[in-house]
Amino acid sequence: MSELPIQRVDDELWEIPASARADMRVPARVFADDELLAAIEQDHSLEQLMNVATLPGIVTASLAMPDIHQGYGFPVGGVAATEPPDGVVSPGGVGYDINCGVRLLALPLDAAELGERREALVHEISRRIPVGAGGKGSGGGIRGADLDRVLAEGPRALVEDLGIGTEEDVRYTESHGRLEGADPAAVSERAHRRGAEQLGTLGSGNHFLELERVDRTYDAGAAEAYGLREGQLTLLIHSGSRGLGHQVCTDFVKRMSASLRRYAIELPDRQLSCAPVDSPEGRDYLAAMAAAANFAWANRAAMAHRAREAIATVLSRDAARDTRTVYDVAHNVAKLERHGDRELCVHRKGATRAFPPRHPEIPPAYREAGQPVFIPGSMGTASFVLAGRAGSMERAFGTTCHGAGRRLSRTAVRKQIDGAALRRRLEDEGVAVRAASSRGLAEEAPEAYKDVERVVEVVERAGLAARVARLRPIGVVKG
Amino acid sequence: MYRWVEHIGEVELAITAESERDVFADALAGLADLLGIEGNGAERRAIEVSAPDRPALLAGWLEELVFLAEVEGFEPIELRDLELAGDTVKAAVEGRHGHPRPIVKAVTYHRLAFESAGSGYRATVVLDV
Repeated sequence: MSELPIQRVDDELWEIPASARADMRVPARVFADDELLAAIEQDHSLEQLMNVATLPGIVTASLAMPDIHQGYGFPVGGVAATEPPDGVVSPGGVGYDINCGVRLLALPLDAAELGERREALVHEISRRIPVGAGGKGSGGGIRGADLDRVLAEGPRALVEDLGIGTEEDVRYTESHGRLEGADPAAVSERAHRRGAEQLGTLGSGNHFLELERVDRTYDAGAAEAYGLREGQLTLLIHSGSRGLGHQVCTDFVKRMSASLRRYAIELPDRQLSCAPVDSPEGRDYLAAMAAAANFAWANRAAMAHRAREAIATVLSRDAARDTRTVYDVAHNVAKLERHGDRELCVHRKGATRAFPPRHPEIPPAYREAGQPVFIPGSMGTASFVLAGRAGSMERAFGTTCHGAGRRLSRTAVRKQIDGAALRRRLEDEGVAVRAASSRGLAEEAPEAYKDVERVVEVVERAGLAARVARLRPIGVVKG
Repeated sequence: MYRWVEHIGEVELAITAESERDVFADALAGLADLLGIEGNGAERRAIEVSAPDRPALLAGWLEELVFLAEVEGFEPIELRDLELAGDTVKAAVEGRHGHPRPIVKAVTYHRLAFESAGSGYRATVVLDV
């Protein structure tokens, strides 16, 4: 067990009191069961959670979801709400991959109907959606897009200017794919250059495209509302704002690092650099971050368009036309939200907004079911569709988990897993694999991750979100 | 000399070197290793970075190399010349044009260090991947 003074609050919640360290302003709380907590204590994520509790203006607690693992500055799986005007916004609390997130597409056919076309569909998707490797003109991004329009308007700019995606896709995107206050002028020239050729590209690391079969439904009403049924074919898209978002974060970590003294802010970790929300640095960051978030939603929309082209080629034009966006959610973002009688700046770093039934920001068709949330597992295990529940608002600023959470480093997993052998194993299990490299495939092996079913059970018992459907992979494309 | 240190979520590069110049050279070699770059190159790039302190200068150095790899497809292979004066590093890097994998998202300031140690130097950088 950890030497940190962690105390059980209830069956799913643990707390390190604010008195544990002189610089903590609020407690640090983590949702976990005994087994997940034991895994969490193996890395430095709880120390990072305590560091977050020192941020000026933080309210209630520094929170972590059960998929928490060690990151940089904030832990991955961390949630922090600060109260403007003096409360801070921290670019590290959003992360470099601004609006990394997940979009789920539902195809109008069952996985069983694919038959021998499964391999061809995975291949065609991998051929049409590039990873975006470096090199001028070689990244494979969407051509003809007006980058500043995308930064200001998100995926709607692609619909209006290029006929990429539909109005319905936009309606079924968190915040309609457009954060208020986005300002392309707040995004540096260097960030523009990084993003210019990357719209519609996947990226590397843990980003993926996964063809999945709805293996089980848990809540028939919510599943019906989301348009999901057992046996149905779906496609999960996991990516973010690519180099553009990475550069926005880099720019503002540096800028805020230089302004800490002016605001008399002392931090235990330089990566937590921050500035008051209502300061020139804070306002500029939120404007640039919103633009990068809009780019990320447009990026996933562009990949969905390319996936539909692949579906048209391998299956039919009708199947492509009838492929629906179920929803698109961010899991790295800071948003100004009203919670009770306060407007707060909610940082979600590897955590997903999970608003409960009847929340006005949920699309009308889903409003009685709650906001859809997608929890990717790993290539060989299940992923989940959840629905937000009332406990998320009461206990976690409207938030739930975002994945399984890593338990092994990339180095450690490469020592255990051979990429070529993993590919054979997955294919033996019925998962068609396309990966840019065996090394990258091995680093994302199922063994590198915690048990996603256990993570999901914890958030359900904690009342943050509830299971709607389980998805099983039948094909995966890795960057 | 560089080595990779265990980090659950990202990758951590640890460097021990006899000189400050070698810290920058080893950081370049570590990044090239991570990007899977091998062999020789005849293309030269001039790089100039300024920062308020040595750790930030090292982060800025790697940021520049990541930027060149991602935007221009420049694969860094070897440090040829390096001039370190005050808060600025000026260098010539030899490499080639290619298609490096987009593995590194960013250079973080978490656990960022560059300090003298005994008769040499040590540095630590966590890269977001």
